[in-house]
Amino acid sequence: MQNRKSLAKGCGRRRAPIRLAVLTVAMLLLLSARADVMGSDVNEPPVRIPSNVAWTARTIALASSGNALRGLLIARRCDRCHGREGFSSSPSVPNLAAMDRLVVWKQLDDFRSGKRSSPVMQPIANSLSLEDSADVAAYYWMMPIAPDPQDDRAFPQPLSDPKHEAVAGRLINAGDGNRGLPPCQACHGPIGFVTGAPSLATQNATYLLEQIEAFASGRRANDINMRMRSIAAQLTEEEKHALAESYGAGLGESSAGPAGR
Amino acid sequence: MPNSNSKISLATRPADEASAVKEGSGVRKLIRVVLVSTTLICVWLTVRFPYEVESGIEYLLDGPNRVNPQTLHLRGEFVESNLGPVEEQGGTVTVRMIAEQYLFVPQCVVVPTGVPIRVRMTSADVVHQLTISGTTDEVKVVPGYIVETHLQLERAGEYQMPCHEFCGPGHYTMRSRLTAVPPEEFRKLSREARMNCAKP
Repeated sequence: MQNRKSLAKGCGRRRAPIRLAVLTVAMLLLLSARADVMGSDVNEPPVRIPSNVAWTARTIALASSGNALRGLLIARRCDRCHGREGFSSSPSVPNLAAMDRLVVWKQLDDFRSGKRSSPVMQPIANSLSLEDSADVAAYYWMMPIAPDPQDDRAFPQPLSDPKHEAVAGRLINAGDGNRGLPPCQACHGPIGFVTGAPSLATQNATYLLEQIEAFASGRRANDINMRMRSIAAQLTEEEKHALAESYGAGLGESSAGPAGR
Repeated sequence: MPNSNSKISLATRPADEASAVKEGSGVRKLIRVVLVSTTLICVWLTVRFPYEVESGIEYLLDGPNRVNPQTLHLRGEFVESNLGPVEEQGGTVTVRMIAEQYLFVPQCVVVPTGVPIRVRMTSADVVHQLTISGTTDEVKVVPGYIVETHLQLERAGEYQMPCHEFCGPGHYTMRSRLTAVPPEEFRKLSREARMNCAKP
């Protein structure tokens, strides 16, 4: 027993520093190593980040936590361009009525960070904090999209070419498998919704056309993982016009977002 | 006699050792307790929050193959400036792509023929399956994991890459294109040209 005990004591005393060292090294690895740094091999071209917004649970909670009443007060400054009821009188300014909260919040954040460039919207977004953006988003999300004859809203706009309806209808409902274009309604509604994809059913034609062309040329590049840029780059000119006009004429859809209002 | 000696020494040793044990290894014991408990907390955090906790324990478990699908565009291997075909030393080509609803991004990829190609892909949202028509390559792309497939194309031309795993309403049109060109032509192409979709 003496031998066993002295053996144990001796081994414990000798091995304790080694065990301690192993534990310390393991601890440092656990606490300091980061999978993204160690697992990436980034090449020479500079890292290009389309948007600082990532749809984590935390971000979605923050963007969804707005107070619409407070947003009502903040959004009074938005009336001049975006309209008193979220329907703008100018076709090149987007309608925001019933727009999904996450969409509005993300675009405001992209304006603020410069990932989406607009000389008009950047100072406005800079003046709004994250919580203010959430409030404004919650306010616009609650705006109804029923037609109101008292407003001088620019929406809906007439189709310039009746053929456009067929062309756009095909792309919106079925997409184009040859080019790998998904149907617009799979992401923009009403059949499916992708977080961050705005509802297009009540949008102005001129604004839509500008944005499609901006995506196609790469001038607008705040879409996460190059989704819209890849799609818009493959549309023909006729299809771009047809889509913009078809949405601008109103598709007859009343649902405006994942909440299905 | 050894037995009686050992008994006496046993009787006295614990008293001597007790104080020695308390002095020397008290701090060591505390450090060990702290380290072990921190380890356990890290393990629990990683298991409870598999996507949020980007810590070293994730890397130890399956690190090189794990990503956070929500933050692919912010950092790491699959930022959009790092996607597409890249020629490695030794002439092989690595293609990095993201599968999302409803595109494989970059949608048009140019690769050289006759050269080993390694495709690394992850999903940004749901499960997809990359298929290269004309080959037997099929690989399921699962969010949170990086999948890798190796192929070598001998025939130049265009290969369609449809998605073979139902991923939503846009699944049936989810398709991207792989264009195989001779290696000399591939080397002449710029990074943007290697991901350029020819207009229809």
